[in-house]
Amino acid sequence: MRIFHKTSFDFIKYRKIAYAISIILLLSGMVSLAFRGLNYGIDFRGGSEVVIRFEKNVDVGSVRAALKDAGVSGTLKQYGIDRSFLLSTVFSGQTNELKSLVSNAFKNRFPENSNEIVRIDSVGPSIASDLKWSALKALLGALAAILLYVGVRYELKFAAAGVVAIFHDVLTVLGMFSILGGLFAFMPLEIDQSVIAAFLTVAGYSITDTVVVYDRIRERIRGKKPSEYEAIFNESMNQTLSRTIITGGTTLLSVLILFIFAGPAIRGFAFAVFSGILIGTYSSIFVAAPLVYDWLRMTKSSVKLRGGSAA
Amino acid sequence: MKNKPFNLFLIVLVTAVSLWSLWPTWRDYSLSQQMDRFASAEDSLKFSISHRDEIENARRKSLKLGLDLKGGMHLVMEVDQVDLFEQKAWNKDARFHAIMAKVRQKAATSDAGVIDLLAAEFRKENIRLSRYFYDIRNSDREITGKLQKESEDALTRAREIIRNRIDQYGVAEPVITTQGTRRIIIELAGVSDENRVRNLLKGTAKLEFKLLREPEVLLRVLDKLNTSLASQGSVASPAAVPDTSGRAVPAAGTLLTAPPRTAAAARPLNDVLTVLQNGNVYVSEESREFVSRLFQRDDIKALVPQDSELLLAAKPDQLPDGRNYYSVFLVRKTAELTGGVITEAKASFSAEGAQPEVLMEMNSEGTAKWARITGANIGKRVAIVLDGAVYSAPVVQSKIPNGNSVINGIGSVDEAKDLEIVLKAGALPAPVRIMEERTVGPSLGADYIRAGMLSMMWGFIAVSVFMLLYYRTAGIAADMALVLNILVVLSVLAGFSASLSLPGIAGIVLTMGMAVDANVLINERIREELAEGKSIVSAVAAGYDKAFSSILDSHVTTLASAYLLYTFGIGPIQGFAVTLMIGTAASLFTAVVVTKEIFTFMISKNILTDKSFG
Repeated sequence: MRIFHKTSFDFIKYRKIAYAISIILLLSGMVSLAFRGLNYGIDFRGGSEVVIRFEKNVDVGSVRAALKDAGVSGTLKQYGIDRSFLLSTVFSGQTNELKSLVSNAFKNRFPENSNEIVRIDSVGPSIASDLKWSALKALLGALAAILLYVGVRYELKFAAAGVVAIFHDVLTVLGMFSILGGLFAFMPLEIDQSVIAAFLTVAGYSITDTVVVYDRIRERIRGKKPSEYEAIFNESMNQTLSRTIITGGTTLLSVLILFIFAGPAIRGFAFAVFSGILIGTYSSIFVAAPLVYDWLRMTKSSVKLRGGSAA
Repeated sequence: MKNKPFNLFLIVLVTAVSLWSLWPTWRDYSLSQQMDRFASAEDSLKFSISHRDEIENARRKSLKLGLDLKGGMHLVMEVDQVDLFEQKAWNKDARFHAIMAKVRQKAATSDAGVIDLLAAEFRKENIRLSRYFYDIRNSDREITGKLQKESEDALTRAREIIRNRIDQYGVAEPVITTQGTRRIIIELAGVSDENRVRNLLKGTAKLEFKLLREPEVLLRVLDKLNTSLASQGSVASPAAVPDTSGRAVPAAGTLLTAPPRTAAAARPLNDVLTVLQNGNVYVSEESREFVSRLFQRDDIKALVPQDSELLLAAKPDQLPDGRNYYSVFLVRKTAELTGGVITEAKASFSAEGAQPEVLMEMNSEGTAKWARITGANIGKRVAIVLDGAVYSAPVVQSKIPNGNSVINGIGSVDEAKDLEIVLKAGALPAPVRIMEERTVGPSLGADYIRAGMLSMMWGFIAVSVFMLLYYRTAGIAADMALVLNILVVLSVLAGFSASLSLPGIAGIVLTMGMAVDANVLINERIREELAEGKSIVSAVAAGYDKAFSSILDSHVTTLASAYLLYTFGIGPIQGFAVTLMIGTAASLFTAVVVTKEIFTFMISKNILTDKSFG
């Protein structure tokens, strides 16, 4: 089976349109970030979350009322698994008291419908600030490491454009989290540790995708004149197009399965990786390589090769 | 293909080692299946006794599941360094307390070292640390060094004491580690009573024997408080009680019941306190939290005689009206004796039978002191105080020469046992608080396992069927590599006793999608070479050669980001990073070396021809 058979799309010609799309995507994300901000999960905000599962069906309103009557502050939402609710409240090291308060609230109200506290997460403010810092360090460290590696393996222009593409992908996904955050009950899209893991995964995937295209360009550009660059860039992208789409496809497939089957705890992560891979696939074709092309054209320089085929 | 024998040997070796490493997991699974099949519990027990070694062996070496999958508690506890340093200071005055309160506030929301915060705060106030700490001749640097040492010791000691407590309580394979300068991480699997564990861990277990002041003094003090509070207005609103201690207090408003409000009363404390004829003072159950916070206020403390303090009972008494009340005690601040002298503790029942209690024995020094104290105070009451709450305050009947003492007034047998544990393990050097907790119940864990298994199964089916459809015969090689890849990931986890968590499973599913990337790169390259009219043998050789550079680059970048995730990530994220790393590294071998050998074999058997790449 073949999806792409000897394609010859003129990617370079349409790059300006792609730039415009990317800028619109990024800007709308940034605007939303500035005005709507992000929903932080308890990892970064601190607080307590309790997941309560009932034996039988019960509606959110009456559970909420029961908690309110018992004097439990906090917000209650439907949790992604059956008959379950997620209560988020302020941090307290006294989980025992929180727990007994919650079970007492329901014991009188729903005597027929037994409930179980199936999960408790409680994160203190100093831990939350710690987690925030280590997440930031991981993200910056990853970007620096990738820049370094690609910089050593390829020319600086390639490496810089690759990192621009990573930023493009991660920021667009971040923007989507801001725009879509809280809109869907089945995925609250909160920024927590697992979403940071997703960003790093997206960064890794984005550069992988980009490197494959670069590798083909480098293989073919050897000894060519700058006037032939446009053709070489286009052909290289067309030749790797099939691989780009197929790998993107299998990865999307497995992430989609995570999104569907792996439960609410993984859903935010799966969403971030899914959209990140979609955007990463797009950016490796329409952002990274065209940027290198434009840069080479503007500086009127030819590629000084480093590395080359390792095999 | 000159290395063919070596490569083949390597593939056989890797497969064999993976299977060998996963064998105990399979045995463990099938043995427990077998045990479930028995009709009666008796048969199952008989079977487990006769196969004991085998079962234990398999369990020890099998793939461990993470806390989120089998249910358990993950706790991060923090040693209260501010309290520790307060204990070390002397000459403490109002200014010192004010500075420490500021330090405490900053430490609560920052991850900077408490010592640095302390030094910075003192520098800002232009006070030398030596005014309060150690020797007046010490420089600030020397003192911070000493405090540093002190806090390291406290952390190690706290870890050992907590380990002792958990060992005595009996949890299978607890993992207790320290992190940084003030944190202890505790991982407990399959805990049945989380509340008990939390109580067991967080108490300082600071035992003190304190002399009670006379009832008249207590009443006089309460009078003074009444006058002062009445002049201030009302006490009845909890919102009016600022948390002057600055300690992490439970969320105000949620856990606190305000006492009934009778504004402008001349004796505001009467709202919450009940004074009986015999001079005993009680506070109702609802107002306990409020009163205990009131007693912590600095302006209230100032009204109490310098050498005394107000304490509340740990357990309520039931008064004739059927409601629960806590006694209020006025005791001497300086303890006559502390828990350091206790050598042995034993949970037991009182002579009358029903009441649980804890018997304690003291070392020789404690015995001598205890004899002297009891001898000198016959007819007076001695309060037995644990972590600032009075357990009992018996009247001394006679001199106690043998160093025995008893804690009674304990609610349940479990609690008596827990007290025994904490007393034996010794007191923590400073209070330790739960700063992070993640508890997953076993039923949710079972759900997670089911969800994880479903995603692994569907992930594998989706990716492998796709490869077969898209690359036909060549897809078989990629699928076989995929199977080996998953085997390697699981076996490495089992072999290194790392545990598999839900994020770890997510990592495996994601790896499945990404691991075939190498095969996609190779197969696409081979298709190109074939299209140029090369023979199958040279097309395969060229495909591998030319794709290798991209494969290497992509694997190294993925490994780099996974490694950083592992280094900076905490807990669950590390599980994801580990499986991603193993999976990516393994795919460099399975997707390149293994598939190449399979291709070679298939070409030699004429299974793979230039038509086979779809």
